[in-house]
Amino acid sequence: MLEARFTEFKAAAYAPKKLLNEYKAAGKKVIGVLPYYAPEELVYAAGMVPMGIWGSNNKTIARAKEYCATFYCTIAQLALEMLLDGTMDQLDGIITPTICDTLRPMSQNFRVSMAKLQKMPTIFLAHPQYRRPAFGLQFTIDQYTNVRRELDKIAGHEMTDEDIRAAIKVYNKFRQARREFVKLAGEHPEAVSAVNRSAVLKAGYFMEKPEYTEKLNALNEELKALPASNWDGVKIVTSGIICDNPVLLKIFDDNKIAIATDDVAHESRTIRVDADEEGDPMMALAKQFANEDYDVLLYDEASSQNRRGEFVANLVKESGAQGLVLFMQQFCDPEEMEYPYLKKALDGAGIPHIKLGIDQQMRDFGQAATAIQAFADVLSM
Amino acid sequence: MSIYTLGIDVGSTASKCVILKDGSEIVAKSLIDVGAGTTGPARAIDAVLDAAGMTHEDMSFTLATGYGRNSLDGIAHAQMSELSCHAKGAAFLYPDVHTVIDIGGQDVKAMHIENGALVNFQMNDKCAAGTGRFLDVMARVLEVKVSELGDLAEKSTKRIAISSTCTVFAESEVISQLAQATDKCDIINGIHHSVANRVVGLVNRIGVQDRVVMTGGVAQNKGIVDSLEEGLGHIVYTSPLTQYVGALGAALFAYQKALKQQR
Repeated sequence: MLEARFTEFKAAAYAPKKLLNEYKAAGKKVIGVLPYYAPEELVYAAGMVPMGIWGSNNKTIARAKEYCATFYCTIAQLALEMLLDGTMDQLDGIITPTICDTLRPMSQNFRVSMAKLQKMPTIFLAHPQYRRPAFGLQFTIDQYTNVRRELDKIAGHEMTDEDIRAAIKVYNKFRQARREFVKLAGEHPEAVSAVNRSAVLKAGYFMEKPEYTEKLNALNEELKALPASNWDGVKIVTSGIICDNPVLLKIFDDNKIAIATDDVAHESRTIRVDADEEGDPMMALAKQFANEDYDVLLYDEASSQNRRGEFVANLVKESGAQGLVLFMQQFCDPEEMEYPYLKKALDGAGIPHIKLGIDQQMRDFGQAATAIQAFADVLSM
Repeated sequence: MSIYTLGIDVGSTASKCVILKDGSEIVAKSLIDVGAGTTGPARAIDAVLDAAGMTHEDMSFTLATGYGRNSLDGIAHAQMSELSCHAKGAAFLYPDVHTVIDIGGQDVKAMHIENGALVNFQMNDKCAAGTGRFLDVMARVLEVKVSELGDLAEKSTKRIAISSTCTVFAESEVISQLAQATDKCDIINGIHHSVANRVVGLVNRIGVQDRVVMTGGVAQNKGIVDSLEEGLGHIVYTSPLTQYVGALGAALFAYQKALKQQR
């Protein structure tokens, strides 16, 4: 039964284009949402389907080179590639957050290219650096209000506050189910492989949220009913922006390395905080962003205290993992810059780790396999 | 009755084998100058068994390592990463080793060893600069054999700066130097320092602690070893068995596994 459920999530995770076709055939409007912290709730509240765009493990960069600097990460470049090569022509619009140093200028590459080719509207979104003070919250509300108006134009009708409150409830349930799954997958690595774990989480970016949450809750119930795990391999915590390549993740499964939990943007970083279900829904969404924390991309007024490093080190200790694997995306400046602080915290806590350099155009993982296998040896000795 | 184990190191450019008796005595070894995806591994296995006057059935356990370690189904009983095996082999040859440097065909590895076991390591980024492949490319441009690089560098009277950032750019620089009629020996000296600079940065990330041992075929190049010693400020030891360290480590792990099976 578990395998059947995983197969269903994998089908969605590995073939989002098929889902996009189905949504369009059903007369739905679909909005592409780039990484990350975009208020997807607004897309849902507008009666449209949000689909995450986090690059591709199957494409290579060709057309995007016309617009991109060489030092843009492959996640951003491959997102543009798919917008240019026709893969995502059916989208009714995209939201382009500007949360990192690549996405900021990249938002203009999206805007210019999509306008030039008359493909789709692009909705610009800038998050504030100071997200917690009153002026920061107001800035977020202003930005989100702009996103809301632009989505209204695409939807052809105005969403109400009640629509947004209903969307928040749907998304809170969605996040709760995902957090529960992350916990259960860490407790039952004998039942949830690294490949399946990733596929389940990835599918959440493409499936319609209520359906996904229902299916995930059913999976969670089955996992809860399992007997205590007899796992005799090692456990690690993963960190980085994204690590969803099944070929790479299979190396973990082959070497009996389980993922206890993660500090990955594509996985847990985006589901840690829920939004208030009562009161002004725009303020609720602004506060939700304000309450996000321990992220490489978020400004930390107390950064000299290395709170994030400590947070990740504690994540490893509390999850029962023996080490950490950092997936370092090539040309990801924020992650590279932050790495010495993470290393300091991990070394200080006596937690072994390895840093694997990856990008989404990689097809051969021979070197990574060597490092992962050696790391398993180190952890099990 | 003695226990014989076979370690096979299928690298990207060479295949090496070691047969070990009772986890302590090297009975035979072999090396074929082609690696993964070629006839090299099979030829190296035939050669080492011939040299020992034994058959594969005489081996209690066979363990594969190296880039092509997964390609020996039906021959190897298990496989381990070359990092673990190089660490094991180096600690066998130098029991007080703490730092191991292995420059392979396409990887550079820096390992920290405690009590003979691998505890930390660093590998190069996805880039050929600083690897054995870098030396292959440069030797081809310079029209010399890789094995001649060390001797030629000794004749150098001055060092030419060669980029350590990128193999392709470095190749262009070397061609440019040749066009300016710069002495080949001086260029090779620069190439060795370019490789060493890259490796020193990697080794420093895990912290250099004596004794420092370099393993793998590139350790036969005295110019590289000298450049590394200069960059690290530590003596770098190399063994006459340097090319066999991975296979030796594999044979040692094979011995441990054979003992475990007997229990």
